Amino acid sequence: MSEAEGEYVVASELGLHARPAGEFAILAGRFECEIEVSRGGEWVSGQSVLALLSLAAARGTRLRIRAEGVGAADAVSALGALIERADEAPQGGS
Amino acid sequence: MKIMDILVRDAVILDLASQAKHDVLKELASALAKAESGVDEERLLQVLLEREGLQSTGIGDGVAIPHGKMPGLPRLVASFARSREGVNFESIDGQPTHLFFLLVVPEHSGGQHLKALARISRFFRDAGFRKSLAEATSLDDVFSAIEEEDAKF
Repeated sequence: MSEAEGEYVVASELGLHARPAGEFAILAGRFECEIEVSRGGEWVSGQSVLALLSLAAARGTRLRIRAEGVGAADAVSALGALIERADEAPQGGS
Repeated sequence: MKIMDILVRDAVILDLASQAKHDVLKELASALAKAESGVDEERLLQVLLEREGLQSTGIGDGVAIPHGKMPGLPRLVASFARSREGVNFESIDGQPTHLFFLLVVPEHSGGQHLKALARISRFFRDAGFRKSLAEATSLDDVFSAIEEEDAKF
């Protein structure tokens, strides 16, 4: 058991929209950790797409990620990398 | 942005007839195209299917937010539909989807799009709101539930 926390800046031009939020929640669900995300106020579940979308995190928003459980540091760095990943090839979807 | 301002009332479906994912999207697209001028059914269906191909918009808790961009659309529009039986929408939690909130946005509306998604997500995070929609017996019940949430923030 361990704890970790980090701060990351949303890099995607469209912000943390539905697709990256979905990827985030799926990835967060793979860790045996309690994972939460905050943009300065309330902490919300990192495993819930509804919760992540409710943050309305546009490009440039600073998000804090914290994890508690097995491999917490790995979870935070993997999820942080997802937040800081720029857009892939521009496509119609979002 | 209030959800009632973007909701196309005449496109809302209290009880979906469709039971399969593709058919649900078609039913949603058809209802919106009939109610909102400037929305082409076939084109919207194609956009929604392409989006679902990237990743299901079934985001868990019985909720899906199918959405897509339509070039030339004059404004952001939304609709709602419910399935009592539940649909296999390939949702990320593997559970059936009962509540569908359709969001169709113009080509360049990044900020608005994100805000609409955020607002509707805040609504749906509320178990009481999901229950109100699940138990609604009329379209008026649906509109009242959304109006009530709209008034909160």
